[in-house]
Amino acid sequence: MKLRSLCNLRKYFTLVRGGLLEALQWRASIFIQLIGNIIYLIIVYNLWQAIYASSPDETVNGMTFTDTMLYLVLAMTIFNMLSTWTVWMMSNEIRDGSIILTLIRPMEYRTYTFFNVLGGDAVTLFMLFLPTFVIVSLITNFAVPIGVNLLWFIPALIFARMISFYIDFFVGTVCLYTESTWGVDMAKEVLILLMSGAVIPLAFFPDWLRTIAEFLPFQAIYNIPLQILLGRAATLRELLTMLGVQLFWVAFLYIASGLFWRKSVKIITVNGG
Amino acid sequence: MKKTSLNCRDSSGSVISLKGLNKEFKTLNRREGIRGGLLDLFSRNYKVIKAVSDVSLEIMPGERVGLLGPNGAGKSTTIKMMSGVLKPSGGEILVNGFVPYTNRVKNAQNIGVVFGQRSQLWWALPLIESFKILKDIYLIEDKAYNEMMELYHSILGADSGDGEENSKLEVLLKKPVRQMSLGQRTLSDILASFLHNPKVVFLDEPTIGLDVTMKAKIRELVLELNRIRGTTVILTTHDIGDVDALCERVIIIDKGGILYDDTIEKLKGYFGAYRTLKVKFGKHDDWHEYLIDEDKSSVMDKLAEIGKEKKIADIKIEEIATEDVIKKIYSGDEQLTVNEGGGEHETP
Repeated sequence: MKLRSLCNLRKYFTLVRGGLLEALQWRASIFIQLIGNIIYLIIVYNLWQAIYASSPDETVNGMTFTDTMLYLVLAMTIFNMLSTWTVWMMSNEIRDGSIILTLIRPMEYRTYTFFNVLGGDAVTLFMLFLPTFVIVSLITNFAVPIGVNLLWFIPALIFARMISFYIDFFVGTVCLYTESTWGVDMAKEVLILLMSGAVIPLAFFPDWLRTIAEFLPFQAIYNIPLQILLGRAATLRELLTMLGVQLFWVAFLYIASGLFWRKSVKIITVNGG
Repeated sequence: MKKTSLNCRDSSGSVISLKGLNKEFKTLNRREGIRGGLLDLFSRNYKVIKAVSDVSLEIMPGERVGLLGPNGAGKSTTIKMMSGVLKPSGGEILVNGFVPYTNRVKNAQNIGVVFGQRSQLWWALPLIESFKILKDIYLIEDKAYNEMMELYHSILGADSGDGEENSKLEVLLKKPVRQMSLGQRTLSDILASFLHNPKVVFLDEPTIGLDVTMKAKIRELVLELNRIRGTTVILTTHDIGDVDALCERVIIIDKGGILYDDTIEKLKGYFGAYRTLKVKFGKHDDWHEYLIDEDKSSVMDKLAEIGKEKKIADIKIEEIATEDVIKKIYSGDEQLTVNEGGGEHETP
């Protein structure tokens, strides 16, 4: 049985490979994304420089200007990786009926979509995240500690990917009822960007808002992996707590999105024909 | 999961069995205008539409069955239920011994589906990459995969004399799907649906929008695969040419129910005794049509009779085409009697 399920892994790897090959076909979009990132960085750089200039201290909320920039640059590249168009894709598939083409495959829809998305992630990981990371490290003269934090970052990033995907999948499922998720998707995107600490580090939040943010799953997508990568987790205990929080959200959202999908897919009416 | 083992024993030996199958859709009764649109936001006024009602049929392994019916008759809905995508509202379905909806993943392993209007291939990738992905998704063994590819080569590789380069397998495999012509894409989709050697393949309007050569190519391909692999083929179409070329058995569905389920010969036989005699009385005259029931009178007698009255310039004798037969059935002529032949006609 175990051997069989191991063999079945190729089912999933092939989807990653397919997603990767497809993402590579759209070379132009990667370069445009790169340009967009540079523009975003220029704005953020100037904005935060103004904020730090108006402060009498070198550090604001325990973060230096370099810390903040480092955090925001890396948050942006993780955002590039994790904000796949899952919701948009699902709503399109549901509206035009092409979801049927995935439903005739011998695989669960969610699993299929997840591994397909991973392929695109791999492309952004190698073409955007890693180059950005290296450049930022060089510019800041290795302000990012190079050590075990890099190893712990790997599971943190994988968990972040899963949390982000299951939230997207949940929102995409709403489309089975509404046939359009544009509004819900925008609301979700704004909520995630703000409450996850991707645009403003959580350290800058007022206490009450930070408390709320810490009880929501969104900060487990950007804040936790970044804290781990930047070596903010001082003790092993602190680090494991962070991963534990992520794992909790992975499990919770895995079950929630699965149940919601199973209940909703019954109402499916594939359009056309 | 435990219950399915019971289902696996299928007494009749049929590969597909439907018993009293029903499907109802609930749609909102939409009102007109902006005011109506706003009211609809809170409306619970649903209308129930019966897409399929009380359909029962058995399909044996290796059969080629044509599912015919006008638009909206419930053909596609039936196919979607058999492929496990839609849940029936009532009745029973067994496909390869599985209840498709509750065992969607297992059922998917044993079926192939082609939708003529959409492609299941990886849009941006060359066909061979799609095949490799499918090989892994369906966990096809190397040996079985290679055998299938050889078979494809033997059907599509040999130059069939029509000088068509663009349906050769080597050409298709290297081409990204998005650059293919509609015909090449459909051909590729059909190849993809047979790749894991499924027991049943559903073809939903496979020849839609194709030219004559491509249609012929596709019919030939499906026939060959059915013959060599013994795959059961279930086809929906509006093209009578597909039915004539491919189907041994025809099932006509309209308004969700079965109107006809028998061989194609018998279908033609209903009207087989009738001939249409067309006569011109002058060079520039229009054709005058006479419908003749050969059980009662012969064409020759009729011709002689007409010839006594007027001088005949030209004649033509036509058999009733399958298309006309089906048109009659669609139009609700359930006694299967011929009434109007169009134009000037003769009552028997």
